Formats: sequence, C-alpha cells, structure tokens
Amino acid sequence: MRESKKNGMEKKMERQYLVMVLPGFLIFTVGLIIPMLMAVRYSFTNWDGMSTVKSFVGLKNYMDLFQDADFRSAWWFTIKFTIGNTIIQNVLALLFAVMLDSGIKAQKLYRTAFFVPCLISSLIVGFIWLKMFSNVLPEINEILGTNINFLLFGDGKTVLSGLLIANNWQWIGYWMLIYLAGLQSIPADLYEAAKVDGAGAVSRFRNITIPMLAPAITICVVGITTGSLKVYDLLVSSTKGGPGRASTSIIYQTYATAINGRQYGYGSAMSVTLVIVLLLVALIQVKGLKKKEVQA
Amino acid sequence: MKKRLLSVVLSTAMIASVLSGCGSSGETQAPADTQESAPAQSEESAPAAAEDADKEPAAEASDEEVTLTVLAGQSTTDAGIEDMIDEALAEKYPNITLEWECVDWGNDFQPKMQQYMQSGLPDIMIGKAQDVATYAPQGILGEIDSTYLDRVLDAASANVTIDGKTYGLVYNALYQGVYYNKDMFAENGWEIPKTMDDLQAIIDDCNAKGIIPFASHMVDTWSIGNVTMQFAMNDVFNNDPTWGDKFRAGEVSFSDSKEFQTAYEYNKLIFDNTYPETFSTEQTDCDARMVLGEAAMKVSGSWSIQNFLDIDENFNFGIFPFPNQTGDSKLIFEPNITIMTSASSEHQDAINCVLDVLTGDKDLAVEIYDYTKTAAMLKDVTPTFANPSQADIDQYAADGMIVDVTLGNNQLVWGGFQEENAKDIAAWLQGDATFEDALKASDGRVDASSAN
Repeated sequence: MRESKKNGMEKKMERQYLVMVLPGFLIFTVGLIIPMLMAVRYSFTNWDGMSTVKSFVGLKNYMDLFQDADFRSAWWFTIKFTIGNTIIQNVLALLFAVMLDSGIKAQKLYRTAFFVPCLISSLIVGFIWLKMFSNVLPEINEILGTNINFLLFGDGKTVLSGLLIANNWQWIGYWMLIYLAGLQSIPADLYEAAKVDGAGAVSRFRNITIPMLAPAITICVVGITTGSLKVYDLLVSSTKGGPGRASTSIIYQTYATAINGRQYGYGSAMSVTLVIVLLLVALIQVKGLKKKEVQA
Repeated sequence: MKKRLLSVVLSTAMIASVLSGCGSSGETQAPADTQESAPAQSEESAPAAAEDADKEPAAEASDEEVTLTVLAGQSTTDAGIEDMIDEALAEKYPNITLEWECVDWGNDFQPKMQQYMQSGLPDIMIGKAQDVATYAPQGILGEIDSTYLDRVLDAASANVTIDGKTYGLVYNALYQGVYYNKDMFAENGWEIPKTMDDLQAIIDDCNAKGIIPFASHMVDTWSIGNVTMQFAMNDVFNNDPTWGDKFRAGEVSFSDSKEFQTAYEYNKLIFDNTYPETFSTEQTDCDARMVLGEAAMKVSGSWSIQNFLDIDENFNFGIFPFPNQTGDSKLIFEPNITIMTSASSEHQDAINCVLDVLTGDKDLAVEIYDYTKTAAMLKDVTPTFANPSQADIDQYAADGMIVDVTLGNNQLVWGGFQEENAKDIAAWLQGDATFEDALKASDGRVDASSAN
C-alpha cells in the first residue's frame, strides 16, 4: 500500500519533470536537432541550394573533403586560432582575476574596463581593430617617429596575431569574471592553514588555488575552445577571411562554399565535420577536466 | 525500462523531425511550379501591356493599398536611392508602399535569394545584369513588360534576355578601366597607353619620379576579382568569346591558357607598383590618396567616381582600357542596377506601377544617375553631374571600343568562382601559394563556374 503510494508520487513527479523539460526539448529539437539532421541529409546530396533537385551522391562529398586544400587550410587556421585563444585567454584571464582578487585599489573600475569589450558585438570588434591596425596605430608611428608594423591584417603571416589580439581584447574580461567568482569562493581558511604549514605564495597557488578553481577552468577552457572553433563574425568585418585565405575559418569556408558557391550539399558535409569535432573536443575536455575537480 | 521508453520517445521525435525536414522539400518545389506558370503569366500580360503602351500612366493604378517587398542588392554607390524611389512613387502611386531590404550585392544578395527561393521571393529584386542568367533558368523571375523595356536602350536588354524573353530591366551602367589623373599625365607628358610597353614606360617613369603608379585596395578581395575579369575581357574573351563554355567542356583550362595566365599576371604588375600596404588599405583611403596626387592610375570602375568627386569636386580624371597584349583593348561596360520581378507575385499591377515610375520619371532617373555617378540606360535621359571622364567614354563609344562584361560574367560567375579565384590570386601575391597553385585551384572549381 505504502509502496504503491510512493510509486504514484514518483510517477507524478516524473510527469512534472517531463512537462518542465518539454518546452526546452521542443525548442532544442526545432532549432538545433532538426537543422542538424537536415544538414546530415543534405551532406549526402549534390544540392546547390536553389534547384529542386537533390540527387543522392552517397559519401562523395565526404571523400572530396579530404582532397580539398581550401578545406584543410580552413581547418588549420581554425585549429591555430583555437589553440592560441585557449592558452592566451585562460592564462591572462586567470592572471587578471588573481590581481583583482589581491585587493588592489579601484578594483571595480578595472573589472568594468576589462568586461566592457565583451558587451560589444564581434562584428563591431572586428571593425574597430581593422581601423586600429590600418589607421590609428600607424598614425602613432608617425607621431612617435617609430617604425612598428601595425598592419597585422594585411599580411598572411601576421593576420593570426592580429585576430588573436582582437579576440582576446574582447573576451578576456568575460572569462576573468568567471575566474574571479571562483577565486572568491575559495575558503580563506585553506590559505591560512597552508600558511601555518609554511607554504609560500607559489605553493599555495599551485596546491590550493588551481585545484579549487578546477570547475571554473573546465567552464573557461570548454567555452573558449568551442567559441574559437566557431569563429566567423569577427572575420567578416575585419579580414573577410584574407589576405587570400590566410584567415578563413572552417565556418567561413562552409558559408562561402554552401551559400556563395552554391554547393549546399558539399557545404553541409563541411558543417557536419565541424559538429563532430565540436562534440568530441567538448566531450574530451569535460571528461578530462572533471577528473581534476575537487570539492572544498 | 524507463530509459528504454525515453530513448524510444526521443528517437521517435528525431525521426519525426527528419520526416518534417523531408516534407519541407515540397515547399522547395515552388520554384518549379512557378517555372511553368511564369511564362504563361507573362505571355498573357505582355500583349495586354503593349496595347496600353501609349496610355498614361502606363501601369494600371488602383486605389487598393499595396505593400511590395523589395530585395535590393546594392553596390556602395547605390545606398540611398531607395529614398528617392519611395518619394517619386508616393507622388504618383500613393497607395503603393515599398518595403525595402537593402543588402550588399557582393556578400549578401545571393544568400538572401537562396533563402527566399525556399520561403517565397520578394515582389521585386534589384541586382546586377548577371543575376538574370543565374535565376531566370530556375523559373522564378517574371518577364518584364515590353512597355517598360521600350524605355531602356536596346543594348541594355541583350544580356538579360533568355530564349527571347527579357527578365531584367537594366537601369544604369558602370564603365571600368584605368582611371588616371589627367593633370598628372599632362604635366609628365604621358600619352594614353595602347600597349603594355606604353604602360610599362609610364610605370617606370612614375617609379623614377617617386609617384606610385597604381592606387589599389587589395584588402577588398572583390577588387582583385573585378580587375581580373577586366583583364580577362581584353586578353581572353576578346579573342575567344566562348572561353568559359569551352572551359566547362574541358577544351581549355587556366593551367594551359597563356591568355588567362597573362590576365592573372597583370595582378602582380599592379601589386608590384602600388601602395606597399595595399592589403591594409581601404577603398576610401585608396581613392583619397589618388585624388591627393600620391598615385597616377587606378584600375577600377565608375563606383570610384563618387569617391573622387566627394574628396575633390575639381579632381580631373579620365579613363582608358587596361592595355592588352594585342593593343586593341576595349573599355569595359557593365550593366549595373537591374530590376527583376517575381514570377509568382500576386501584385503584378503594382509592380508595373513601380516599373512605370522607374522608367517614366525622368527627374527621378537623373537624380539617381547624378547620385550614383553612373551612366543612363534609359532612353533620352542624360545625367547632369560633371564627369571629367565622359569625354573619354564618348570617344571609345564612337570608336566602337566598348565591350559588355556580362559576356564574361555570365560564363564565369562571380559567386563561388571569380570571387574564390580572387582569394587564390591574393594568396599568390602574398607568397602563400604559387602561381601554378592559383591556376590549378581555378581549374578545380570548374563545377562552380556556372550558375546552372
């Protein structure tokens, strides 16, 4: 009698959970799952995005990807951009967070100044840095009589550096806040106990701060990596994927192929590879980093 | 068990979503349906309209409030003409309102068209003449009524007519070639170059005198694509007007064509004789520096005139065709603003009213031509803006030395082909790829060279 009552209660709760999950599930299905499955379907066709004919071509599009130098070059740029961002943004964001957590003066002012760029659209950020590198900074050269090469977007060899500067300028403040929140949640008595045991600043940072920040590190690393793999809007307004193809990301290449190049089927195959890579990277990072997380 | 049940529910939802995706292909068949209905509709309307040609106004105006959607793929010079059209339309047909969606032609027009081909086309589309070859074969464009076509120059309709039916109304035209600083040419005693040797002599003299021979803004990859087609028109299509078709048939290729290789190599000539920071120089800066006397020439099109005259209304410039190997190069003519209509629009009468205003209101036409600094394609309409290069254009026209670039653009399309080739040329100029790589990449793109 008692058990059946419990079962009834459990069933009621399950129904409630399902009802609560349903709206999110529907939105997720319509907005993400359906387009993704349609992309998979189109990736097996030679559809041009315009005609009514969608002939099945099997794995041809995927086989062609291996022969496509532009596709490989786009992935190579995306990987370099992602690695650069993940390292620089994490290190600098953590560094700034530690500095702000150390009780320096005008902490709120610095926090706001670092955070403001991430409120600006990436399109605008791209445009700002295009103007900075092309007009503003070279003007400073003129004033100071120096000869520093600020034309970073104008050369295939320096365009990645320019984009890393622009992207890090925009996002470091955002990730810094996450690290700052993590730092402020570490119990002070842990540090006091370590001090009593004779641990120095470096040792405390390595043995207390880093392990206690592991959840924040997981969030930041996964967020920065997946965000960088999807870079597109920053490129549109700054380099347009150039010079040549030097800053063409995988999404930029996919868009150019599927839409401008009228190869929707082939472009869909490109997008499927991106989804697979995103899932794998996120999965590996979350699994790997979760193991290192500790509880206070 | 519960997990299994949940997985069944999820799987069902996913399968249902796939099926719903499949179902959407029915909607995509709309263009095919219109393909059959479009000619029928226009065949009926054309004679009727022809009979009414002498009546004023040409279009049937009704008092019913109508809002027409317009997708305008604009060049930088065109932005703003929508307000002029709205004003003129409100005066003559106050019941018709245009709902504009203005996008950049180079980057966004084709994506938008692709999107609307799935969801339903706007009533009016404004693009370039070459768009007609892309979209008319899909059966989605309506035939333009002869009442309005009769008001434009006959030459304007040649490249927007397919199987005897005209699907685009060409409104204005651009000229492309080498813009040059007339005063600088006079001061240095330079003659208009006819051959590459003549041009090289001017370049050498410029370099000797510390003048930059060419202004350029290669940061805009489209500018590389644009000048490459200019070069190709005179070195390739002048000699072989069907080169693009032969390319698709496998009879010629970029890797084997000396003429096309020459066209590509001219980019290197420009690159070696332009601003060192051309890949960081924007169009406005580039044009300003030319007007200020830093550079002598610029391979460009009429879109530069707006900039030139905005910077200095007294800037004295002319235009000549970029010389070719045989010394018979022609000035490039490009039909620009081209009005297309949807074959499936329910507001054909209202569309005709808009076409009536565009082709019948000469004040509006002059206002647009003066604003965009472009050439008229309407009969008996002459722009009033002072164009220092007009005398040169008139001379080339009188000598029959003008060629329509639509010939090349229809055979080797911009989106997905010329645009992509330009990226490879830029990579080659930057030293990130070899010349052979760039040619090979163009050959590998053969399937994307035609819109159909």
